[in-house]
Formats: sequence, structure tokens, C-alpha cells
Amino acid sequence: MSLLNVNNLKKSFGSTEVLKDISFSLEEGETLSVIGSSGSGKTTVLRCINFLETPDEGTISIRDEVIFDAATDKKLSDSAKRKKRLHFGLVFQSFNLFPQYTALENVTLAPLLLSNSDSNMSKAEIKLQGLELLEKMGLSDRAKNYPHQLSGGQQQRVAIARALALKPDVLCFDEPTSALDPELTGEVLKVIRELAEQNTTMIIVTHEMGFARDVADKVIFMDGGIIVEQGPAAEVINSPKHERTKAFLTGYSKN
Amino acid sequence: MFGTVTLSLLEGFLTTLKLFGLTLAIALPLGLLISLGAKSRIIPLSVPLKVIIWIVRGTPLLLQLILVYYGPGIIMGDPLWGSGDTGRFIAALVAFAINYACYFAEIYRGGIQSIPVGQYEAGQVLGMTKGQIFRKVVLLQVIKRIIPPMSNEIITLVKDTSLARVIAVYEIIWNGQKFIKSDGIIWPLIYTGAFYLIFTGVLTILFRVLEKKLDYFR
Repeated sequence: MSLLNVNNLKKSFGSTEVLKDISFSLEEGETLSVIGSSGSGKTTVLRCINFLETPDEGTISIRDEVIFDAATDKKLSDSAKRKKRLHFGLVFQSFNLFPQYTALENVTLAPLLLSNSDSNMSKAEIKLQGLELLEKMGLSDRAKNYPHQLSGGQQQRVAIARALALKPDVLCFDEPTSALDPELTGEVLKVIRELAEQNTTMIIVTHEMGFARDVADKVIFMDGGIIVEQGPAAEVINSPKHERTKAFLTGYSKN
Repeated sequence: MFGTVTLSLLEGFLTTLKLFGLTLAIALPLGLLISLGAKSRIIPLSVPLKVIIWIVRGTPLLLQLILVYYGPGIIMGDPLWGSGDTGRFIAALVAFAINYACYFAEIYRGGIQSIPVGQYEAGQVLGMTKGQIFRKVVLLQVIKRIIPPMSNEIITLVKDTSLARVIAVYEIIWNGQKFIKSDGIIWPLIYTGAFYLIFTGVLTILFRVLEKKLDYFR
């Protein structure tokens, strides 16, 4: 039984077909990298499974339970969406931390709000968990800092801790290092690598080919809204079968 | 003489303050409603509100005051506001509240629109409700951004209240001016300026304190 199954996902914006027929699966503890040029639909896939976009067709299942079926769920209520999207966490390219909260408050805000309705965690436990997550991200001494006092890399690590605080089944990253300079990129990638080593189930949309090859178990190459090639990471990146994948990767290694 | 003038001006200033305070109390929430309504997807709501904002911001407040006061009596044959001092005060309050609500609506709109969509999306993927996102994520950021234009508008309101004299609301300038007729002296009118300066000075400091308070984040 796969943890995540995405089947025949289709999405259009107006007359532009962004996702043409996307299917893939992900096992518990696996890391999946999605690569491809800008506009290939990578980000839209992430946005669909995080319910930021509603797919036109297709299904999304967690542990064989269908949590989204476009045939019936196009007009999901907000509260239904909210429960379902908690299966997933999303780390944005531009961090999107809440500027008026400290690093720790950013991490604990959502768990605290959820604990008001239904939870088994006390406020103290949530705070403790927040501190542990920040420690895991190497940010123990930054808990009381506000986002604008942190570097981009530190902000992104807070954002990762914030997403982890809700214990999602699948943690998604949308080009997590694209807004960072090379030095800061390294510290964020290191944290993601550690998460992979701890068998966190992740989907990472990235332009870092070396990272995708080393850290991901599986790689998907997308182009023009379809999955051109998918397979074990080293295989797809080191010896791609498809012409389009070859062309894309050659273009990359030239840089 | 100075004592008499001061007392009279204080009395007028009290009316000024009342008009100012009540206008704010109505226009601040009303403006938010108008701003939310004007950007709503319900066209029978948003279009009329946009037209109203256009008319109110596009014509002189003085004209609106006169029309609001005399309009109901002359057009509908019903002096809606009642007679005497209270009636004139209420008419002035209505005109000011509508006028300022429209200006505030535009300030709120600017503030809300300036919040990056990523803030909403971050709240959504963390499972927050729309209300939680507005209250816990967006609101304080909006407040921080609208303080400078708001303080500008509110200080203008302090001075605009003097327009109410056109429908004989006895605010401070009315009371200052009457000494020209009764005693042939002009300094009470200049004296009124001190009241305005002190009051706007206090407001300026208050807004600066508020801005400082929200300085801890960007």
C-alpha cells in the first residue's frame, strides 16, 4: 500500500492546460524530487495536492483512502478542505513566515489554533514541540527572533519547522532554495537531507539536480504538463532514457 | 475677557470633539464594511458602493453637509434630523460619518490588498480557517500598514469638523467668530487655532507611539 497515490490529475487555467494527466505514487518514508523547466507544471502539482488549487480531474489518495476525487469534490467546503490538507505540509519558495510572530510563535501558531478545537496536546507540549523542532533545524538560539531578524536560510528553516509541527503525512517543498544565495542554500539543503535520512516522506520540487540525485529516492521529470520520465533518482538523472529529459539535464550541466 | 472667551471656546471645542469622536466611532467600522462590500463578488452590492465612494470622494464635503441637512426637509418634506441644535448636530454627524467612511474604505482596501497572497496561502496550508487567517495573520499587518494614511485622514477630520458651522453647529470657530460681532475683537479666532494645534499635536504623538509599537516587525 502506497502512502500517497495521485491518479490522472488534470488542471487547466482558462484555456491553458497546465497538468495533462499526472499519476504517481509515493511510499512511506520516501523522498521524491520533481524536476523540470519553469512552466512545466511542477508547482501546480504541489498546489493541487495541498488544496491550493482544485484539480479538474483525478483523484488523490492517502493510504488507499481517496481524500480527493474531482468527480465529486470540486466544490469542497472550506472545513472539509482544511481537514484533508492537513495530510500535507507545504514549504514555499518565498518562506511566507508571519512577520508579526517570533520564530517559535510561527511554529506553534497553527497547532495552538487547532488545539482549541480538537487535540490531545496541551499548550506547554506544543511549545516544547516547537522548541524541539527549532533545535532540529539548528535554530535553538533564534526562537525569540522575528522573521526580519533572520537570514533567508534561517527563515526557510523556520518555515520547515512550522510545516513539521502539524506532523503531515507528506511534506512538500516548492523550490525551497530558489530565493536563497548559494551559501544559504546549503544550510537549507542540509536540513532537508537530514529529514530524508530520518525517513520523512517528502516531495521536493527543485532545480538542484545534484541534490535531487543524492537525496531523493525517486525523481519525476515533468515537461509541458506531463510526466516524461520517472524512476530511481540516480537512474533518471545520470542516465535518462527520454530525449526530452536528456536535453533538459544537458542544459543544466552546462551551467 | 480672556476667561469668558476661554470658556466659550472650550464649550465650542467640546462640540468639535463630540463631532470628531462620534464620526470616528461610526466611520471606522462603516468604512471597513464599505470596503469589504465594494470588493465583494455580489455586483448589486459592490457597484452601488463604488458609485457612492466615487460621489462622496468626488464632491466637496461642504456641499454634502448642506445637502444632508436641507435635503430631507425640502425634497421629501420631512426634516429627518429633527429641529434645533440636536438636529443640526445629527445632520452634520451623518454627513461626516458617510464622507469619512468612504475615505477610510479606500485606506482599508489599500491595506488589505498590500498583504501578499502567500500570507493567506501559508495560513491555508496550516489548516487555519478564513476567520483565523484574517484575525491572526492578516489583521495586524493591515493595521500596521494603514496607520500612516489613517493618521493623516484623522488629523484632517479634526480640522474638517469646522465646516459644520455652515449649518450652524456651534463648534469652536463659530464660538470664536461671534466675538468679532459682539466685541470687535479678532484674537479669540486666532486663539481657536491653539486648540486645534494642541489637539492635533496630541493625536500626532499618539499615532507615533502606535507606529513605534508595531515597529517590532516588518
